[in-house]
Amino acid sequence: MQVHKYDVVIVGAGGAGMRAAIESGQRARTAVLTKLYPTRSHTGAAQGGMCAALANVEEDNWEWHTFDTVKGGDYLVDQDAAEVMAKEAIDAVLDLEKMGLPFNRTPEGRIDQRRFGGHTRDHGKAPVRRACYAADRTGHMILQTLYQNCVKHNVEFYNEYYVLDLLIVEEDAVREDGTAYKQKRVAGVVSYDLASGELHVFQAKAVIFATGGAGKVFKTTSNAHTLTGDGMGIAFRRGIPLEDMEFFQFHPTGLAGLGILLSEAARGEGAILRNSEGERFMERYAPTIKDLAPRDIVARSMANEVREGRGAGPNKDYVLLDLTHLEPAHIDAKLPDITEFARTYLGVEPYTEPVPVYPTAHYAMGGVPTNIKGEVLQDNDTIIPGLYAAGEVACVSVHGSNRLGTNSLLDINVFGKRSGINAAEYAKTADYVELPENPANETIALLDSVRNASGTERIASIRADLQETMDTNMQVFRTADSIAKALSDIEALRERYRNISIQDKGKRFNLDLLEAVELGFLLDLAQVMTVAALHRKESRGGHYREDFPNRDDANWMKHTMLYKDDAAETEGIKGLRFGTKPVAFTRYEPMERKY
Amino acid sequence: MSTDIRFPRSTSETGRIAPKYNRHGGGAKGGFEMAAWLFMRLSGIVLVVLIFGHLFVNLMLGDGVHAIDFGFVAGKWASPFWQWWDLAMLWLAMLHGTNGVRTIVNDYAERDGVRFWLLVVLYAAAIAIVILGTLVIFTFNPCPTVNGVPLPGSFCPKP
Amino acid sequence: MSASTVEPASKVELPASVGGGGEIPTFDITLRVRRYNPEVSEESHWDEYQLTMYGTDRVLDALHKVKWELDGSLSFRRSCAHGVCGSDAMRINGRNRLACKTLLKDLDTSKPITVEPIKGLPVEKDLIVDMEPFFQSYREIMPFLISKGHAPTKERLQSAEDRERFDDTTKCILCAACTSSCPVFWTDGQYFGPAAIVNAHRFIFDSRDDAGDMRLEILNDKEGVWRCRTVFNCTEACPRGIQVTKAISEVKQAILARQF
Repeated sequence: MQVHKYDVVIVGAGGAGMRAAIESGQRARTAVLTKLYPTRSHTGAAQGGMCAALANVEEDNWEWHTFDTVKGGDYLVDQDAAEVMAKEAIDAVLDLEKMGLPFNRTPEGRIDQRRFGGHTRDHGKAPVRRACYAADRTGHMILQTLYQNCVKHNVEFYNEYYVLDLLIVEEDAVREDGTAYKQKRVAGVVSYDLASGELHVFQAKAVIFATGGAGKVFKTTSNAHTLTGDGMGIAFRRGIPLEDMEFFQFHPTGLAGLGILLSEAARGEGAILRNSEGERFMERYAPTIKDLAPRDIVARSMANEVREGRGAGPNKDYVLLDLTHLEPAHIDAKLPDITEFARTYLGVEPYTEPVPVYPTAHYAMGGVPTNIKGEVLQDNDTIIPGLYAAGEVACVSVHGSNRLGTNSLLDINVFGKRSGINAAEYAKTADYVELPENPANETIALLDSVRNASGTERIASIRADLQETMDTNMQVFRTADSIAKALSDIEALRERYRNISIQDKGKRFNLDLLEAVELGFLLDLAQVMTVAALHRKESRGGHYREDFPNRDDANWMKHTMLYKDDAAETEGIKGLRFGTKPVAFTRYEPMERKY
Repeated sequence: MSTDIRFPRSTSETGRIAPKYNRHGGGAKGGFEMAAWLFMRLSGIVLVVLIFGHLFVNLMLGDGVHAIDFGFVAGKWASPFWQWWDLAMLWLAMLHGTNGVRTIVNDYAERDGVRFWLLVVLYAAAIAIVILGTLVIFTFNPCPTVNGVPLPGSFCPKP
Repeated sequence: MSASTVEPASKVELPASVGGGGEIPTFDITLRVRRYNPEVSEESHWDEYQLTMYGTDRVLDALHKVKWELDGSLSFRRSCAHGVCGSDAMRINGRNRLACKTLLKDLDTSKPITVEPIKGLPVEKDLIVDMEPFFQSYREIMPFLISKGHAPTKERLQSAEDRERFDDTTKCILCAACTSSCPVFWTDGQYFGPAAIVNAHRFIFDSRDDAGDMRLEILNDKEGVWRCRTVFNCTEACPRGIQVTKAISEVKQAILARQF
C-alpha cells in the first residue's frame, strides 16, 4: 500500500472533475483519480448543447433561463442555486470558448445558438434559441477541450485508479444552540490501481467528488457501462445522505431497444414525434411548445401512446422520430452523429425513414447534497469541511425533479469551477486531517470478501435482474404496487449478492472484481431510489405516481434526504433513515406546470 | 496471489503517472528529413522525364532496340548533352533509391547495431556506384585502340 | 438556421413498412480471442467461444456474453458502448475497429471472428494495452489553444468558414485505432503517429490559435510527419470517419509552405 499526499484530490475526470482540476490545479497541488482514462468519460456522449443566455441570435436573459430551470424542475429546484447557474452560464460558455472549444458560429462569427426542450422566452411564451452547440457533439468537444486544458496546466492524472472509499473522521462538536453532534471531516480517499491491483491511499486537505451518475441501475439507458454510481454509493456508505434519489430522468429519444441517445437537438432543429397512426401526438400533450416540452412530459406522453396501443413496430413498443421533412444538408450540418447512430445500429436512414425511439434512463437528478459553493452537506445545515461534489453525483439542487436539456453541461461547468476554486482556497488555509489507523482496512476487507467469495451466483445475472425489475417497475409510470415489487426484488437480489463468486482471482486488471464491487453500489442505490419513490406520494417532474397523479405542494414541496443508519427503518427497510430538506425560494411562487 | 507483479506500464522513477518515453535522436534532424522528403518528390518527377526520355531514345527511335551496340553508346556519349543527361539520371536515381532504402532500414531495423551496419553498407555501395558511374561517363573513350588499330565496332572519328 | 421553418404536418400516412419488423434473427458465431495474462504465462494463446447472438448485436455484446456468462477473467476496456468514448479499439478480423461499432451481422459469421489487442502498444492483459506512449505523443504536440494578445471580454469571433476548416479533426476520440494501424508506428513505436498529428492539425488550422508554427516545428522532427508513408491504414481504421491521411498531408504542406 502506498500513501500519497496532495492538497486537493479530485475523484472522477469527466466534465465536472476536469473543470474543477483546471481551477484547482493552478492554485494547489492537485491529483485527479479516474477509473477510466479522462477522455472516456460520459460527458463526451452529451450531444445537443449548453444553454446560456448569450442572446447572440435573439433576445434572452439569464432571469428567463432561471425561470425555465425552476419551472422545468417542477418547482423543487433550489432557486438560489438556479440563479447562480443561469447567471454564471454565460461566463461558463465564454470560458470554454476561450479554452478553445470549437462552437458552431453565426454568420457574424458569434457562438451560434439553437432551441432546446423547456427553454423559452419571457416565462414560457415561445421556444428560445439558447443552447450553444458544436454540431451534435457538444459534450465531446467540452470533454476534449477540458482535457486539453488539463494537459496545458499539467494536471496530474492517476488513470485507472478506482476510488473505493472516502476516509472520514468524526469529531465531537457543539452547535450554536448548544446541542452536541458529530462533525465529519475528510482525510482522503482509498483507491485501487486497476493495472497492478495495488491499493493507494491519497491523503488530502480537500476532496472533490465528480464521479457521475448511476444509470446502470436501469436496463435501457443512455449511460455508459461504467456509470455505476460509485461516488454516491461511497458517500452513502460513509453516512452522507442522498437527496432526491426518486427523481430519475428518462430521455425521450433513445434508439428503441438499445437506449443509445438521440439528442433533443433533433427536435430543436425541427424533428417531431409521431405515433403508429402518423399523428404528431405532442400537439395534444403540450399545445404551446409541443415536441419541445421538457423531457419528463415528452417521455410520459410517449409511454402513454405505447400503452394505449398507438406504438409503432411489430410489437407496438416504440414511437417514431421523424426528420424526413428536414433538408438532408441541414441534418448533415447540425446532427451528423445521431443520424449515423440510427444508420449503424438500426439500419434506418433518417433522411427518408422515421427513427424508432423510446424513453431511455438518462440522468439522476438526485445525489450527494451540496450547497452552491459545492460543499457537501452531512445534514440539512452542516457542511463537511473539505469535501466537495459537482456534476451528476451532486444534488445542488439545480434540477429539482426534472432537469432541462443542456443544463447538465452547464451544471458541470458552473459547479465544477466553483468547487475547484473553493477546494483549492480551502486547502490553502486548512491542515491535513490525520489519516485513520490502517486507512485501507475496510477497502481490503471489501475486496477480499468479493475476491474470495465462493458462492454460486453470477454478477451479470444479478445485475441483469436488477436492471429488469427497475425498467419494469420504476420507469416513467410508477404505482405503490410496482415500486413495492421493485423493492422486494431488490431485497432478494441483495440476498443473492451475498452468495456471489468471481472467476478472475488475479491482481492485474481484474475487471471481474471491479464489476462485482460496482454491482454492490448499484444495489445500494436502487434500494435508496425505490424507498424514496415509495415514500413520495405525489407526482412531480420525473417521478410520476399513477396512484397520486397530481403535484401536492402542501405535503411534498421538500427534498427527500435518505441516510444510512443501522438503527432506523424506512418503508419497511432496515438501515435507512428518512429526512426532508426545505426547498429554497427566491422569486418564483409555485404555479401549475403547463406548456 | 501475493507475488509482486511488474507490469509493463510506462512508469518512471519519479513516480509520475505521465512519464516521457524515449524518442531516439532528440529530434534535431527535422530539417534533413523534410529536405529528404521533398527531394524524393522532386527527384521522382525529374526521373520520370529522364528515364522515359532515355527509354524512348534507346528503344523507339530509329531501329529501336536492335540499334544498341557499343557504337550506339559511344555515339551518344560523344555528345555532352547525353553525358549530362545520363549523369543526372545516375545521380538522381542513386540518391532517390538510397534514400528510399535508408527509410526502410530506419523503419524496420530494430537494433541500433544492425541499423548502423546496414546503413554503412548502403552508403558505401551508393558512393562507389556514383563515383564509378561518373568516371565512366566522363572518361569514356569512344575509340579504344589496340596497337593503334581501333577495335571493331568502336566509334572513331573518320580520319 | 435557414431550413425547417415550415411547420410539419400534424398527421401523415406512414408506410406499412415503417420501423422494420419481424423477429430479430439469431445466428451462431465462433469468437476467437487472443488471451494474454502474464500472471499465468508469458505466452499469449487463442481461446474460442461458440455463441448464439442476435441480429443487432455488436462484437462488444459477444465479448460481454463471454465475460458475463462463460469466462469472467476475459479483460477488455469499454465504456459508452456506442462509439464516442474510444475505449474499445481492437483488432477485429485483422482490422482496427471499435468493438461497440462493429455489428456481428456485417462480419463473415461463417468463419471464426478473431479479436486481438491493437498492435504497437505493450499488451497488459488480454485486449488491454498500455495507452501511455500514445497519450505521450498526444501531449507533445501541445494539444491546446494558445492565443497571444488580450482575450476579448466576450467570445473570439470566428467565421463559419474558418470553423469548418478544422472540423474534421475535432472529431477525434483518441481511441488509437489509427496510430496502432500504422505500419511505421509498429516498427519502433517512436513515430508520433496519426492521432497526434490529427490533433495538431485541429489547432494548426484553427484561426484562433497562434502557436501553429511551434507545432509545425515539433512535427518537423525526425519522428514527425515525414515518417508518414501515406499507407492510408489510418484513414481506413478511423471509427469517426476522419480523413487522417489527408490531415497529415495538410500538415506536411503547411511545414513546407512555412519554409519557402
